[in-house]
Amino acid sequence: MKTVEEINQRIKDGDAVVVTAAEMTRLVKENGLKETAKEVDVVTTGTFGAMCSSGAFLNFGHSDPPIKMSRTYLNGVEAYSGIAAVDAYLGATQPNRNPDVGLEHGGAHVIEDLIRGDEMELVAEAYGTDCYPLTEIKTQISLDSVNQAIMVNPRNCYQNYAAATNSTDETLYTYMGTLLPKMGNVSYSSAGELSPLLNDPYFQTIGNGTRIFLCGAEGYVIGEGTQYATDVERKNGVPVSTAGTLMLKGDMKDMDPDYVRGATMPKYGPTLYVGAGIPIPILNEELASRTAISDEEIACQIIDYGIPRRSRPMVMETNYHELKKGVIELDGVEVPTSPLSSQKKAIKIAEELKNWIDQGEFFLTQPIKKLPTKGRTVKPLEIQRPSILVKDLKSEVLILARPTDDISEVARKMVQNSINHLPVVDENNKLLGIVTSWDIANAVAHGKRKLTDVMTKKVIIAREEEPVDVIARRIDKNKISGLPIIDKDNTVKGMVTAEDISRLMGGD
Amino acid sequence: MKAWLNFSPSIVNKTIISDLIKNFDIHFNILRADITPKGGKMLIEMGGNQSEEAIKFLEKEGIQLTPIKKVVKKDEDKCIDCGACMSLCPVKAICPADDWTVDVDDKLCIGCGFCTFSCPTRAIKVTE
Ligand code: SF4
Ligand code: SF4
Repeated sequence: MKTVEEINQRIKDGDAVVVTAAEMTRLVKENGLKETAKEVDVVTTGTFGAMCSSGAFLNFGHSDPPIKMSRTYLNGVEAYSGIAAVDAYLGATQPNRNPDVGLEHGGAHVIEDLIRGDEMELVAEAYGTDCYPLTEIKTQISLDSVNQAIMVNPRNCYQNYAAATNSTDETLYTYMGTLLPKMGNVSYSSAGELSPLLNDPYFQTIGNGTRIFLCGAEGYVIGEGTQYATDVERKNGVPVSTAGTLMLKGDMKDMDPDYVRGATMPKYGPTLYVGAGIPIPILNEELASRTAISDEEIACQIIDYGIPRRSRPMVMETNYHELKKGVIELDGVEVPTSPLSSQKKAIKIAEELKNWIDQGEFFLTQPIKKLPTKGRTVKPLEIQRPSILVKDLKSEVLILARPTDDISEVARKMVQNSINHLPVVDENNKLLGIVTSWDIANAVAHGKRKLTDVMTKKVIIAREEEPVDVIARRIDKNKISGLPIIDKDNTVKGMVTAEDISRLMGGD
Repeated sequence: MKAWLNFSPSIVNKTIISDLIKNFDIHFNILRADITPKGGKMLIEMGGNQSEEAIKFLEKEGIQLTPIKKVVKKDEDKCIDCGACMSLCPVKAICPADDWTVDVDDKLCIGCGFCTFSCPTRAIKVTE
């Protein structure tokens, strides 16, 4: 029906009709598809979310005498510099090397500071060569002083992304934010109907070379993003979970700090909030109907992050209309939701891009090459050491205590078997608590006689089906030295201690 | 509640605090104290069934009581309206406006600090 050239001519003449993806949804509902497809030339999309897979190429220029930098640090954050002599790539998730700063000010924050125009310290180390004799540099740089500062993000704009909840009894700190115990909240990250790749789900217009809005500057799609997948389940044409991604590029010297932000997911690490907006030319009725998709029509799976495995179980499937209400019903309970990506900024970006086009400052492009639409799946990484499960640990003779046992009796059992932990169980070997040698010493010191007075009742456990690596992390996180192994029925099957695990990990 | 107790020089010798703890069903914690013969201040935290009666007793004994309230404040320049804090607030003090601006109602806030710790841009703070 229309061509990109025709639309660009109308932009030039100031006649193009540009609407945001949210407005498009309403227009098609009100005026029908046929009419709207004829009327509207461009639909603008927007998203402002935490996109870990982001970073920047920097070229610092040559010093006198020159240096071939092999390690570089910007305000304490290491940038990869195994590229030529004075180039580096600063990744968004890189923590600060200063342990006091750590995750609080990492690569993402440095990228934001650069875009803000801040001066910062560059430290470089080198091994020295005949042509690059200098081995050390400490100086100040800024966005103005570097030759290039080019943002290149390997994976942005996920087409859809599962929402997260947590079924365990402890709070989890994840890249999906803080997840409260017992499914206390749900966080989702997609902008839904405003999100770029949900408005062109089959990549009919977005492809290699597409000109876009990136952090307030003109940017480009430079290809498929990493972890790009095509062969996924769809509903109403759009993937129900992760699928397409984009690799994006833009000049940081033109960016606006309003549309980019360094952030830290608590106890997870730095990440970059990237503002991206993509214009979609309405060339035909099909594209009009794709861009008219509403939050209600976009499915989203809620996944349990309490299971730290590659494929986490789905709790339920919902849609963005429900998620954006702020509460959602999970197993009959109302649970609050958090968007995680800024819906407000997503709207602002779509509006800003619309404005650029209205003003005749931004023209649409045809992809130089289309993105793949089939045959792509995300392959897992198989690891050499297959993950050992708790039940594979060879368990020693199981020694248990009863709640009625006398303290001195328990102390003797521990000494005799040279163990430090003793699970306390009922007559069916179901777990009631745990005592450690420290608890016993404490009991003796305070003249306590009954085991139930000194045992810990809230026990951190290991399940038979869990990988040992997960248990190692749990031991570490809770600063404990051992935990009981439990089967499905809460029966104690054995004990696993920090020593068992370090023997196992160091052993092979 | 948390409050500052102001002691005038005339009452520093009286056993007001121990009387208070003996006679009222309250739990009581001294967070800071700076009292000399010239008078002084004490920061306390107090709760329990008879808190109101306890406050009346303190005032009767001549202690000036200044409660402090925790307020939650959002730095609008830092906040990106991501809403990560919304689902963490136990009293629903954080809600989105129609345009998805994330608004905090400090009248509802109980100062638990969940939002503070979980804000990715460290934009929201609880102060006294
Ligand atoms: S989590 Fe922080 S940045 Fe996000 S909306 Fe709340 S205060 Fe703003
Ligand atoms: S401090 Fe607690 S109660 Fe107050 S706004 Fe934050 S989460 Fe809500």
